[in-house]
Amino acid sequence: MDTLIQQLINGLTIGSFYALVALGYSMVYGVMKLINFAHGDLFTLGSYIGYTVLVVGASWVTATFGIWGGMAVALVAAMIGIGVAGLVMERIAYRPVYKAGRLPLVVSALGMSFVISQGIMAIWGPNPQAYLSGWTPKDFLQFGNIRVPVLQIAILVLALALMALIYWLVERTTFGAAIRAAAQDRDTATLMGINFNLIIIFVFALGPALGGMAGVMQGLKYTRISFNMGWLYGLKAFTATILGGIGNIPGAMIGGLLLGVLEALFEGYVSGAWKDVFIFLILILVLIWRPTGLFGEKSAEKV
Amino acid sequence: MADLTSKLTQRISQTQDQSPRRKFPRAIGLILLVLAVALLGAFPLLPFVNNYLIDVGFIVGIYALLGLSLNIVLGEVGLFDLGHMAFCAIGAYTTGVLFHQLQLPIVILLPISAIVAGGFAYLVTSPVIHLRGDYLCIVTIGIGEIVRLVLQNNPGGLTNGPNGIGNIGNPDFGLFSIQSPTQFYYYIWIVIGLVIIGLINLQKSRVGRAWNYIREDEIAAKANGIDVRAFKLLAFVLGAAIAGIAGNIYASKYMFIEPNNFSFMESALLFCIVLLGGLGSIPGSLLGAAVIVIFPEIFRQFATYRLLFFGAALIAMMVFRPGGLWPRRREGLGFAGLGIRKLPRDENALLAEAPVPPRPGTVPLRTYRLPPVTVAMSEGLTLETKAITLRFGGLVAVSSFDMSVATGKITSLIGPNGAGKTTLFNVITGIYRPNKGKVIFQGRDITKLKPHTIIGAGIARTFQNIRLFPSLTCIENVMSGPHCHAREGTWPAVFRTPAQAREERKIVDLASYRLNQVGLWAFRNELAKNLPYGKQRLLELARALATSPSLLILDEPSSGLNDKESEDLMAMLQVFLGEGFTMLLIEHDMNVVMGISDWVTVMDMGSKIAEGPPQEIYNNPLVIEAYLGKEED
Repeated sequence: MDTLIQQLINGLTIGSFYALVALGYSMVYGVMKLINFAHGDLFTLGSYIGYTVLVVGASWVTATFGIWGGMAVALVAAMIGIGVAGLVMERIAYRPVYKAGRLPLVVSALGMSFVISQGIMAIWGPNPQAYLSGWTPKDFLQFGNIRVPVLQIAILVLALALMALIYWLVERTTFGAAIRAAAQDRDTATLMGINFNLIIIFVFALGPALGGMAGVMQGLKYTRISFNMGWLYGLKAFTATILGGIGNIPGAMIGGLLLGVLEALFEGYVSGAWKDVFIFLILILVLIWRPTGLFGEKSAEKV
Repeated sequence: MADLTSKLTQRISQTQDQSPRRKFPRAIGLILLVLAVALLGAFPLLPFVNNYLIDVGFIVGIYALLGLSLNIVLGEVGLFDLGHMAFCAIGAYTTGVLFHQLQLPIVILLPISAIVAGGFAYLVTSPVIHLRGDYLCIVTIGIGEIVRLVLQNNPGGLTNGPNGIGNIGNPDFGLFSIQSPTQFYYYIWIVIGLVIIGLINLQKSRVGRAWNYIREDEIAAKANGIDVRAFKLLAFVLGAAIAGIAGNIYASKYMFIEPNNFSFMESALLFCIVLLGGLGSIPGSLLGAAVIVIFPEIFRQFATYRLLFFGAALIAMMVFRPGGLWPRRREGLGFAGLGIRKLPRDENALLAEAPVPPRPGTVPLRTYRLPPVTVAMSEGLTLETKAITLRFGGLVAVSSFDMSVATGKITSLIGPNGAGKTTLFNVITGIYRPNKGKVIFQGRDITKLKPHTIIGAGIARTFQNIRLFPSLTCIENVMSGPHCHAREGTWPAVFRTPAQAREERKIVDLASYRLNQVGLWAFRNELAKNLPYGKQRLLELARALATSPSLLILDEPSSGLNDKESEDLMAMLQVFLGEGFTMLLIEHDMNVVMGISDWVTVMDMGSKIAEGPPQEIYNNPLVIEAYLGKEED
């Protein structure tokens, strides 16, 4: 029972990282129909930006703002930095290729993925880096036999709050309606007076920014970060996106959390070495059963 | 009337006929090809070429072979495969494991690796082959990762986990064995040469065309008799088999394989090779492989930055040359580009030679098995729908609909927009399956047949919103018609057997005849997407005719045509009627309906509200009400 709860909490934590990254995938895909393979690497870059803020400023960031304040500064820095990086990426690698169709975009995205991950390696070196223990709180909450770090709870709460915010933004506001309209039909949305460029800017800033924050959270939680960790996170988040139904915002969140929990349970009860095999098998089985994901719309093509 | 169409044709031919444009004469192309082959052959013998360079040449060969294999799936069929290395891994590990477990010689393991990789591809892709674009993409990535992880987890101690398998032997052909870099270089490039010959033959056969039809428009492909599922699977199996061969050769060269040789990164590189070269382009794949291998080698001195440059180069390529370095060209090649043997030099001569096609309904069916004739049809009927009901969610689109189509006549289905007419057509042609009811065609219950089988049985259709194969030439579009009656499959195409060549010739003859009949002969080498709207409709008509159907179903054939074009169309339909085609139309243009129909069925809100000869329908108060609303009094 204890293991179960422990694994559920761990699963939800990692699942919330997947969900945040998946949101970025799903937002960009919904509007641009582009699988942004560089998205996982932006997650890594966010992690390194947070790391740098804390390393460089360890003496004064943490000293001035306290441990919690220091983490907040790192998160905000990553959010802004990755938001800008997302915009730059769209401008140089995607915008000139849109008209060429979807396959060239995939190659451009793969190229961007190389550029970012190799750029991180060139700047921070090929060896993994670590978020030092002095930067994070070490308090625990005790529930019976289960000890849960306060930090983990804070991360989980923040991640869920961010998801709630995005959900509200996309599903409940006028601007969100514009995004959804643009995702359905770009031309009609433009004709109805929606500024499509504004929407591109929004999704390419906000999507990556969420991933960047998730990157910092992953550093705070697991301490170890490396230049090439992005692709696995990216792949898992992409899997989560597809599980939930690509382009579907709530679907991406639920897909991410579900994936994290399934993974943690399998790891806790069956085997760590086979967990990724299990995850991909689940994905394939779900797609055989529901070809457009759990919450994806059945799209019968109009003949 | 036949006179009229031929006159029309002549007029168009005279004004717009053009000979195929060529960038340079064929002879120069041939010389360049010979030079390229000679350079490849002489490369290891050149004075400045050391073993290192020869090995680079070998690696280019491995990637070229893999690029060619992925090009089948991604380039020809347009399937998003980002896990292709899995098939190479299966080939390599089949070689490694069987070499150690059963002491089989490497040379014998070559075909075995190909078969195992192909069989594996069949098993894993057949449950997911129906998935669309990005969903298929993540599944292939998933398959790639599963294979790598399974190899790493060392099931049954067979794969030796992350340590990999070493001490794999060299290929031994009895008289000589392949060991030195130079020998391996020639080995891989000879294999590539053979594979390329086979692939070119395939590309220029009905198999390759079927792949392209699917890539261009899956639904139109289905509706023209292409077994989409089978041809997609064929592409995966063939691609995997060739990747398996590459795996075998790789294993025997380095005598060592480990799971990380076959990572996602490698699959992504293959994807880039195909797109760098140009989708569906064989020389493009070779070029792409050369770029992918040689580029990082050149930047070797920058060690840490070389992949950075590489990524930037990929982006730059896609920005400045998104079609690839050597895209496959279709227009401007003329019929020579079809790769059919013994075609007359002057394409117009083909028209004179082309035999008049047999009467509708007499073309023997070869490819598909049909249900037996079990239902006695009323005298003189070709098609009957019996109580067809189709619901979309809560909406009843077609409600208990009975209709019959008389043999050798033109029947029109009319009704206000949204009445369910096109939906009914989709039920008849197998694109939708009805909730209730039966479709009987020539005494056969075809309700449950797949679209491509139905077309083989003799029902062809056109679409309301034209669905052509936009990036193929007009003649290639029409050549999809005879596909459903052709018999020669993959192997005859690879080896160009005489029977296959004869069949291809028949296909082009029939397609030429039909293309000429609708007056588009002059545009035969133009891409379909470049035709104006009215001509696109005619092209679709020619494509449907070329399936040699008994029943021709036309969905609003005159929509978007001007009065003159409508008149020509009506004349043309009369000609087809004279040939013996039975026709069923959806039509809004009352001039057309009243002018040529023998029988009119009226549909409103999914139900039949009237039927009868045109004049009767014209004055029927129910029909007038459905169209114009009830008169208030």
